[in-house]
Amino acid sequence: MNRIYRTFVTLFLALVLGLAVNVSGQKRTNGNGDGKVGAPTVPRLTLPLQKDSVRFVLIGDTGTGTEKQKDLANLLLRSRQAFPFEFVLLVGDNLYGGEKPADYKMKFEDVYRPLIDQQVKFYASLGNHDEPAQRFYEHFNMDGKEYYRFTRGNVAFYALNSNYMDKKQIDWLQSELAKDQSAWKIAFFHHPPYSSGGKHGSDTELREIVEPIFTRYNVNVVMAGHEHFYERIKPQKGIFYFISGAGGKLRKGDVKKGSSLTAKAYDDDMSFMLVEIAKDSMHFQVISRTGQTVDSGVLPRQKTVTAVVQ
Amino acid sequence: MNTTKTIYRIAIMWLATLVLSLAASTFGEVRAQKPIDTKPVLNEQEKRLFADFDQRVKDYLEQRKAVAKKLPSLSKEATPAEIEAYQKNFVERLRGMRAGTKPGYIFIPAFTAYVRQTIQTEFPPKDKAEIKQTILEAENKAVPLKINYPYPESQELTQIPPTLLLKLPTLPKEVKFRFVKRHLLLVDSDNLLIVDYALNALP
Repeated sequence: MNRIYRTFVTLFLALVLGLAVNVSGQKRTNGNGDGKVGAPTVPRLTLPLQKDSVRFVLIGDTGTGTEKQKDLANLLLRSRQAFPFEFVLLVGDNLYGGEKPADYKMKFEDVYRPLIDQQVKFYASLGNHDEPAQRFYEHFNMDGKEYYRFTRGNVAFYALNSNYMDKKQIDWLQSELAKDQSAWKIAFFHHPPYSSGGKHGSDTELREIVEPIFTRYNVNVVMAGHEHFYERIKPQKGIFYFISGAGGKLRKGDVKKGSSLTAKAYDDDMSFMLVEIAKDSMHFQVISRTGQTVDSGVLPRQKTVTAVVQ
Repeated sequence: MNTTKTIYRIAIMWLATLVLSLAASTFGEVRAQKPIDTKPVLNEQEKRLFADFDQRVKDYLEQRKAVAKKLPSLSKEATPAEIEAYQKNFVERLRGMRAGTKPGYIFIPAFTAYVRQTIQTEFPPKDKAEIKQTILEAENKAVPLKINYPYPESQELTQIPPTLLLKLPTLPKEVKFRFVKRHLLLVDSDNLLIVDYALNALP
């Protein structure tokens, strides 16, 4: 009797485990029926899609023109079916290497053409591989400026040039923030003030200058690139920091393990971040090139950023 | 009677605390809105040096303006081909106008010495090391140290640490400081022409 019972239990466990492996395997295939590992047709998204919310994408270090950048762009396009975002924030290194018309075409236009055709706007900031002349480019919506502000709903976005944070830019940033009555203030630029990257790490020189301004004027969220991975930093002085710099390049395994800064990091593959701001909440979901959700969550709007417990 | 007095005293103290905390909070708000000072502190000699530098940059801007006004203006929504054509025309004409200009036209030795001295003495060792690391890690070794040559578009544009930038003269938006290895360059923002360079400005 015992033997029959043990056999039954073993068979049952094998069945359950087999099913679990199968489910896990399905998650990693692309869902197109060809059995290849890759992105599903439409990633499973959990963002709330609330009425009148502000929906956008954060992606950085894109400008390579590689097949992997295209894979990620295709996934971004498919994600828009489930999450109709209006615009994309580019956190620099929009074009690596040359910047001839052919480079704009190969490293940006050809890659994101379907999104451009769907009237999705790209708002660029400049990285250390970007010529300032990119500010004139029609699809980067920089209005001929290296740093600029735009708004959507109750959210103000500040695109900064962290490559050249001079007195003029700092004075401009302070004067704009001082009069800004927006509920949310988001700064986006290339170099991350906080990072657990092994190659670059935190840009402390930049942080020394911008962080006091961000805290003084209640900037809620800071978004950067430069590091070719994804990282959500534990709130610093009440500000939420994100790095999303794996839009065209990947520095696999570069996040320092056990870093005290990391709330969540992903450096196994390329990724982008979907963001939805609805009233006092910022929802986010980070999708890898294989369509997996590698981080997600909801952040409350800080009334004064320093009030948030670290 | 004593109880009434005690209650009265407590009420007064509570009110006073409330008023004081409100005042402190308001004061705090006012303080919080005070902008961060971005002006470098200069002695008389440095002021003269900066004024001289500004004048030299202005001279370049005059040349640049003369060229720019002959070019069709670039739209804020330009195509890559329009950007390229604009830059090419700009560089060719500027080079023609500036033919024969020698290095040191803007970065006079005293200015280069000021930059070197500032990096050497104005930053604690840790900050100095970070500044050097930021500058030296840039992938831009193939930039030619030649004035009137364009900074190659394939080469990384060094991030200049803002703590250092705030100690240098504020440049008009048409030009920028750049480092290539230890050498300081002045580069045109729109067409990437190398306007001038100074050797070993980074100590």
